[in-house]
Amino acid sequence: MKIVVDRSKCSSIGLCEATAPDIFEIGPDGALNILIDEIGADRRLDLEQACENCPTQALSIED
Amino acid sequence: MTTALTRAERPYDPADISSLEFWSGTAKDREKVFAELRAHRPISWHQPVTNGMFEDPNDQGFWAVVRHADLVEVTRRPGDFLSGKGITFESLPPEALDAAQGFIAMDPPRHTKIRRLMAASFTPKQLARIDAHIVANSQRIVDDIADKGEIDFVKDVASLVPMNNICDMVGIPEEHRHTVAYESQFADGWRDPRLLQGADPSARVFQTIATVHGIAHELIAARRNKPENDLMTAMVQAEVDGERLTDDDISSIFALLIIAGNDTTRQSIAHGMKALTDFPEQRAWLMEDLDGRLPMAVEEIIRWATPIMTFRRTAAHDTELGGQQITEGDKVIMFYSSANMDTEVFDHPEQLNLSRSPNKHVAFGGGGIHHCLGAQLARRQIAATFRELLTRLPDIHVVGEPELGNGNFFHTVMSMTTQFTPEQRVTPAKKSGGAR
Repeated sequence: MKIVVDRSKCSSIGLCEATAPDIFEIGPDGALNILIDEIGADRRLDLEQACENCPTQALSIED
Repeated sequence: MTTALTRAERPYDPADISSLEFWSGTAKDREKVFAELRAHRPISWHQPVTNGMFEDPNDQGFWAVVRHADLVEVTRRPGDFLSGKGITFESLPPEALDAAQGFIAMDPPRHTKIRRLMAASFTPKQLARIDAHIVANSQRIVDDIADKGEIDFVKDVASLVPMNNICDMVGIPEEHRHTVAYESQFADGWRDPRLLQGADPSARVFQTIATVHGIAHELIAARRNKPENDLMTAMVQAEVDGERLTDDDISSIFALLIIAGNDTTRQSIAHGMKALTDFPEQRAWLMEDLDGRLPMAVEEIIRWATPIMTFRRTAAHDTELGGQQITEGDKVIMFYSSANMDTEVFDHPEQLNLSRSPNKHVAFGGGGIHHCLGAQLARRQIAATFRELLTRLPDIHVVGEPELGNGNFFHTVMSMTTQFTPEQRVTPAKKSGGAR
């Protein structure tokens, strides 16, 4: 699985980082970085929660 | 105007949540009214708030959003419910709004850009990096009270913890810290005669703005001259849409950081101390495994305190919410203290339950674009402070009832007497590291 970030929507609020800090990180410039390119299927619940929590609906999962 | 007429013709709900008397009572008293609204009239129209100042003759009232689910929905519809017209019940003068509310009273796209400048300093990972520093601040504060036996908990603990941490992050030097922490109280305390001490409320608010902006301008000049590793420097160096922030932009964000940084965690720590006094079985449960249970306990303390009781939005256009027709320009007020007591979400919300899990409180917001920037900072400060207090002063407890504020925004504790057995000093000299 991959995480796709819609950069026009992301506001760097960081709820995704709070949900899965090993996958999401707000960088020093305030931009969201995805730390893992190909994410294992065992993390689907975390990713779904991050997508749902995102206040700006900037995240989606690509299988 | 047709819309104004529609608004004017709506009958007001009989429940009083607008008067100064209502807000001068206790959370427990207010909850009786909120419980009735949640059960029977979850989206209700009310007469304008009365407080003797900032009363707008054109203000016809507000919608009260009291259920957890509805509050979350409003939070997550920032295109329908705007922040840019103001975030408080009162229609504050635009100068005050511009000067003191920073990006909290902005809408996208500008909100997104300004908030992004701040984001990196408040992420969970960044806060983990400065945790030792947050812990040291709490240790020093407890060092200073440990031999006293009786203190005003608000003055000597609850107000100092956030003051030191937010000032460290923003880059406010020692000599200005007490000033900014004191002045920040007028953001909501302008209606309180105990704070005003005879001053005219409006004049006092503008005095606060002048004082805070004076300090901001001094720091802006200093950081332009010599950059430091702090938020003030980040703001001075930042570019938004290819342009530097103006001094007024920075001063407004500065004011927001001070107010949001000081007046929130101060209340959570104070209400938390009272709750730990009032629920001894919960405290005993916590002490059985303090380090393991503290993170969970902190969430419940934050729900219990709900340091910000209300936020306002304004309808961007005619829309619908929970079956009610909302008209463009209507004020919509979210009641966090009510949502955090919603029995649809919380089992026995009237009881402090430090093991509550999951704890879907909305004290940091309902998960929208204005979600609390300082949530992780708040959690760490509250944890560090109670770890220090409960370990070193194990019998610390509140005596009598706290003196509460009368505002409708912050859940203010003005003062609260606390007693404890003075700590046995290991060495006579004051230690900076604290005893662990």
